[in-house]
Amino acid sequence: MFHLNSNLKRRWAALSALVVLSLLLAACAAPTAAPTVAPTKAPTVAPTKPAGPVKATPGKAVKMTLLPKFLGILVFDQTHRGAQEAAKELQNPEPLQYLGPTPENMVAGQIEIITAAVTQGQDAIMISNGGGDELVPAAKAAREAGMTVVFWDSPIPSGEGEQVFVAQVDFNETGKVLADMALSIMGAEGGKFAVISAAPDTANQNAWIAALKDVLKKPEYAKLQLVEIAYGMEQAEINYDKTLALIDKYPDIKLIMPITASGFPSVCKALQDEGYCGKEGEEPKVVTTGLGLPSELVSYTMNGCAPKFALWSFVDFGYLTYYTTYLLATGAIKGEIGEQFEAGRMGTYTIEKDPTREKGLRVKMGPFSIYDKTNIEEAAKE
Amino acid sequence: MSALRRYFRPEQVRELVLVFLIIVLALFFGTQIRDYYTGRTFIRISTSVAIIVVVAMGETLVVLTRNIDISVGSIVGFTAYFVGTQLARHNDIAPLVAVLMAIGIGAAMGLLNGILVAYGKVPSILVTLGTLAIYRGILVNYSGAKTVVANSLPQWVINLSSMNIFSIGELDFRLLVGLALAVVVFFQLMLTYLPYGRRLYAIGCNPDAARVAGFPSQRIVLVAFVLCGALCGLAGFMYLARFSNITVVAAQGMEMSVLAAVVVGGVSIFGGSGTVIGALLGATMIGLLEQSLIRWLVISEFWRRALLGLLILLAVEGDAAIMNRLRKLWARSELQMAPKQENQ
Repeated sequence: MFHLNSNLKRRWAALSALVVLSLLLAACAAPTAAPTVAPTKAPTVAPTKPAGPVKATPGKAVKMTLLPKFLGILVFDQTHRGAQEAAKELQNPEPLQYLGPTPENMVAGQIEIITAAVTQGQDAIMISNGGGDELVPAAKAAREAGMTVVFWDSPIPSGEGEQVFVAQVDFNETGKVLADMALSIMGAEGGKFAVISAAPDTANQNAWIAALKDVLKKPEYAKLQLVEIAYGMEQAEINYDKTLALIDKYPDIKLIMPITASGFPSVCKALQDEGYCGKEGEEPKVVTTGLGLPSELVSYTMNGCAPKFALWSFVDFGYLTYYTTYLLATGAIKGEIGEQFEAGRMGTYTIEKDPTREKGLRVKMGPFSIYDKTNIEEAAKE
Repeated sequence: MSALRRYFRPEQVRELVLVFLIIVLALFFGTQIRDYYTGRTFIRISTSVAIIVVVAMGETLVVLTRNIDISVGSIVGFTAYFVGTQLARHNDIAPLVAVLMAIGIGAAMGLLNGILVAYGKVPSILVTLGTLAIYRGILVNYSGAKTVVANSLPQWVINLSSMNIFSIGELDFRLLVGLALAVVVFFQLMLTYLPYGRRLYAIGCNPDAARVAGFPSQRIVLVAFVLCGALCGLAGFMYLARFSNITVVAAQGMEMSVLAAVVVGGVSIFGGSGTVIGALLGATMIGLLEQSLIRWLVISEFWRRALLGLLILLAVEGDAAIMNRLRKLWARSELQMAPKQENQ
């Protein structure tokens, strides 16, 4: 009797362990959506070669996946909105898949989603690279399976496995814009400032830092002293602690420069909590500038903590990325240097060699929008 | 020596060792970091530790019963996000209601963990590994890619983290720190004097004996998980007040800091031994290390984490070696005393 009982118990335990495991698996698999297996239709190539910019032929069925670094960040949601707008305009009968990993599982999750897209017979995938070159094998496999692989926001540093990179802005220009904002805030006498980036291995932020350092070598920026690059790992608490640590380490620091939109508000909150800026009737001791979202920073701009910062439109960015990918997937453009195409309401773009990387092609969107007290309240409504 | 042995238990010696280590660390960093002995350093460390301490209290209750809860970070993140969204939509929610909402949601999530562990008989590490992913997944879906931003929250929430209970000169004693200390005192008293507290130790020490003795083990474990969840909810509210900008990654990975605090603080992962004061000291030591290391100019970003890990390992290893020795000493002296006691 006793034996039977304990056997039963053991079985019950094993069963419940199974249930939990399957729950767990289900939770892990959630972002990869329903496996709609269907044969890939070979994209019909338009034989005519029209002069001037190529226009898209609407109404073709292209199965497309939009893959951000991870889910749950406003800027990526805006990109998704832009891509949906383009999808509607191009009357693609296939719905746009918007899939992303959970934040703790960024690179591994992205690889999984790319691989799944291949087996599901997706025609094209648009990726914001959450790491460095780790995505190369998966991207290459997707290319070999005949998929169109376009990167946006953050490219593959080596350019391998990537067809075209849709760049939000010129990465060298980012360095200049950041340095100019720092100069205009700190004034001619300059001073110490520090950069807060996302993580040591994110491709786009590293390119911007390199560009910023290059620009700082020029004589007009000689008085700006970049003392440290800290990493907030996209987490509020780390950004917050690192900000205060920078202030303690460099008592005469004047400016903190977050170049990750999701970390920017925490930097401002830390400064405000500890009374470095945002106090009514007091001159701020330390302020911020960098890359941030107007809707998240409006109160800090109004109270002087973030007097000036820059960003581009992520909605337009999604729109352009979708157009580029659709044109490539339908064979209207091949992804060669010098090809010109029309991206709906945004006008004409050219595929060029990416001047900021050794290898790789680029479509550059631009320009930067600079936000300050005069325009932020309007921009925050978007 | 034997008099000493009678007044101190090995656990208390361990806590004294931790206090000693904290002092040594503070002395060392004082020589390395400029303006270290200022009110500012106290504010930085105390505020950064406050949230971890509250979660560590809940974790201690669970670990005492020979279980583990690794879903704490997800619970903190979810409650912070959920309460933040509600406050952003309805700016007129009363502060007390907001706090109770956070505690209630946390407790409900803890209840699910507790039911699966206590009544489903699934090992707690499996259950909470699952709910860690599930709760975070619910948060990602619920968020719809939106973030909670400071300017949508009522002003009292944003100002909460810079509010002082009192300040002596430069030294501010923040409200959130006071709240964390109140939680520690409450649970220290509960574990020492309430029957429920003593039963937690009994179950962790020897689950079979506790069952034979007629303790409602399942209910006790369940309540431990619910309390842990509730404390995570409270911590979630504190998280919202401190950072105010909440994304789906809020409090991700917090379980690591919390478990480190609990283990360094001498709460045995095998259950039945440890105190909340120990967990508080553990959290303080780790907070002191983290905050000092990011201010120490000598060490680069990349080595900091490795060094932190190494120091934690050293603390735990050293602690284990010392504790074993102490336990043997105590056991030997008890053996010598035992026959006498029988005669009495």
